[in-house]
Amino acid sequence: MRLGMVIDLDKCIGCRTCTVTCKSHNAQPPGIWWNRVFTPGSDFHQAASGQEGHLQMSFLPVSCQMCDNAPCEKVCPVGATYTDERGVVLVDYERCIGCRYCIAACPYNVRQFNWEDPKKAKERVGYEKGYEYGYPVEIRDPDGRLIYTPNRPVGVAEKCTFCFQYTSKGELPACVSSCPSKARIFGDLDDQESEVSTLLRDRSSFRLKEELGTQPKVYYLPPNKQ
Amino acid sequence: MNVPLATKPRPLQETAPQINRVLLLSALVLLLSLGAWGYQLSQGLIVTNMRNPFSWGLYIATFAFFVGIAAGGLIVSSSVYLFNLEKLKPLTRVASLSAFASTLGAGAMILPDMGRIDRILNLILHPNLRSPLVWDVAVISTYMVVTFLSVYVQLLPEWRESGRGFFNTWTKSRTPEEIQHFSKIWSRRVAMVGLPVAVLIHTVTALIFATQASRGWWNTAILPPDFIAVAVASGTALVMLVSLVVVGKARFTEFQGAFALLAKIVGGALIVHFFFVGVDLLVHGWWGSPESQEIFSLLFGTYAPVYLTELLLPGFTMLFFLTKKGSSTAKTLIFGSVLLFIGVFAHRLMLMFPAFNAIPLTLSLPGIGMESWAYPISVGVLRPGLPSFVTFWAYTPSVFEVVIALLPFALVTFVIALALKLYPFLPVRRG
Repeated sequence: MRLGMVIDLDKCIGCRTCTVTCKSHNAQPPGIWWNRVFTPGSDFHQAASGQEGHLQMSFLPVSCQMCDNAPCEKVCPVGATYTDERGVVLVDYERCIGCRYCIAACPYNVRQFNWEDPKKAKERVGYEKGYEYGYPVEIRDPDGRLIYTPNRPVGVAEKCTFCFQYTSKGELPACVSSCPSKARIFGDLDDQESEVSTLLRDRSSFRLKEELGTQPKVYYLPPNKQ
Repeated sequence: MNVPLATKPRPLQETAPQINRVLLLSALVLLLSLGAWGYQLSQGLIVTNMRNPFSWGLYIATFAFFVGIAAGGLIVSSSVYLFNLEKLKPLTRVASLSAFASTLGAGAMILPDMGRIDRILNLILHPNLRSPLVWDVAVISTYMVVTFLSVYVQLLPEWRESGRGFFNTWTKSRTPEEIQHFSKIWSRRVAMVGLPVAVLIHTVTALIFATQASRGWWNTAILPPDFIAVAVASGTALVMLVSLVVVGKARFTEFQGAFALLAKIVGGALIVHFFFVGVDLLVHGWWGSPESQEIFSLLFGTYAPVYLTELLLPGFTMLFFLTKKGSSTAKTLIFGSVLLFIGVFAHRLMLMFPAFNAIPLTLSLPGIGMESWAYPISVGVLRPGLPSFVTFWAYTPSVFEVVIALLPFALVTFVIALALKLYPFLPVRRG
């Protein structure tokens, strides 16, 4: 099984719902974003770009590209980052030594670091007292490695897990199920009958920074020019 | 051989009382730095100015600087044996000592950079053999052992006579001649084993960066050989500087030949370094891709003052040390070395700036007529007045970072000063 995602840029309306659900379902501390959506060519999101009256606007969501040849995994000196049997790149919060080599290595800048204790950060930025968000219990993989906890340890790296808490039970990642325009399709790339495989067969697609040879498992269907 | 009493080897304390002041000062800085580290441990790396877009800064640059200057010891000792440079022989002990101390400094600098120092044992319990960081831990630890052994075997004969030192009870049952012989053979052996390890610590430290295709500024095969060239230059300069202190004004002329030779090695290594720099810039620049244009605008625009420091100061030292004037007095040698150190430190800082501020996820958007658009990166910290996402991070080290980065400087100074105070590092005056 190789879990992957197809993002249809024709359907993406740049609403950032996925960014928000991702953050809240995965209890990301203040300032940490696993999932970003921006408007290519523009300094501001939702601002058109182009020349002399020929303006256009499309959106590009970027989270962990779940590379088959993942530099973050190869550089990790302690094997805290690893790929599970479903092809999902994960971080063991109890193994990570906080060297941040993975952050330097990732070409997609999706890796986030806990520069301060998230509890203190929530207090400092003024999140309402008692406001707790995110999947409420910690998640361990079958080997007992801690890959999700609502109370993040200080000094470790983190990133998208393809919502391990849901996908390990056969449910969809939060960004996929919450997308109002169904721009995200999730499934098994090894299964020729899956929707992701069918889409990749029928439509032209691209991957980010393909020339680096990271072999991402997140594919984009290009937008039609408007 | 008759050795007059007055020239018996002696520790530096009798000739240089100011060493106590150096010890005290470096101990104070060490404590201050440890205190700042303690504060960082309680707050997290938030006390630094590193953030997600710029995740390695002063600490890693300082680490690379100390790895660089750690080369000198074994380069000097091994060239004595490899190239029969007898002139340098009296300086091999000082060389080994400065190498050992610098390695210690490099190792110490890495620790505050770790977000979870409490898990450091994971490096031994769960090493990922594909990670260049693990290779670096292995070769730097080996180098630390080798340079320590190098100091040890060279000091043994004196320790046997004076009864000072450590790990030397076994020498009591041997004659001084036997120990002298042992020291001679093993100094050579250690130097020979050490040379490839010295080459490796620079190669592997460079590979940490050079393997990363996500960062155009690092991803070049010229980086490891250039690290070696810079290491030969700055490592030799450190040996020269420490030796100048040990030798003192009084005995300078006795070792003038050795110093001139060291200056020549520094100058020669810098020629090689600038050759590599030139080739690298040419290859980066000739093709003229948007990525390399971005790097050039960082090198000669945003970070021009740092980059020019990196180029001009060592450039001056190179020319200066290749002249007779520059390499013949203690003053000019110290002047040239200090300029070189500042330049090499700038070089290490410049490893970071153009690497992190050229955003890896930069896209070409033909429909909009845009050749490079950088995808914004999450800063990692929520602060009033600070955007959540940026495409440039104006990194300058925080006060805490600067104080913590003094740690290896204080440690290296302290270790060298202490060793010089306790044990004789300069052999007997000949004739």
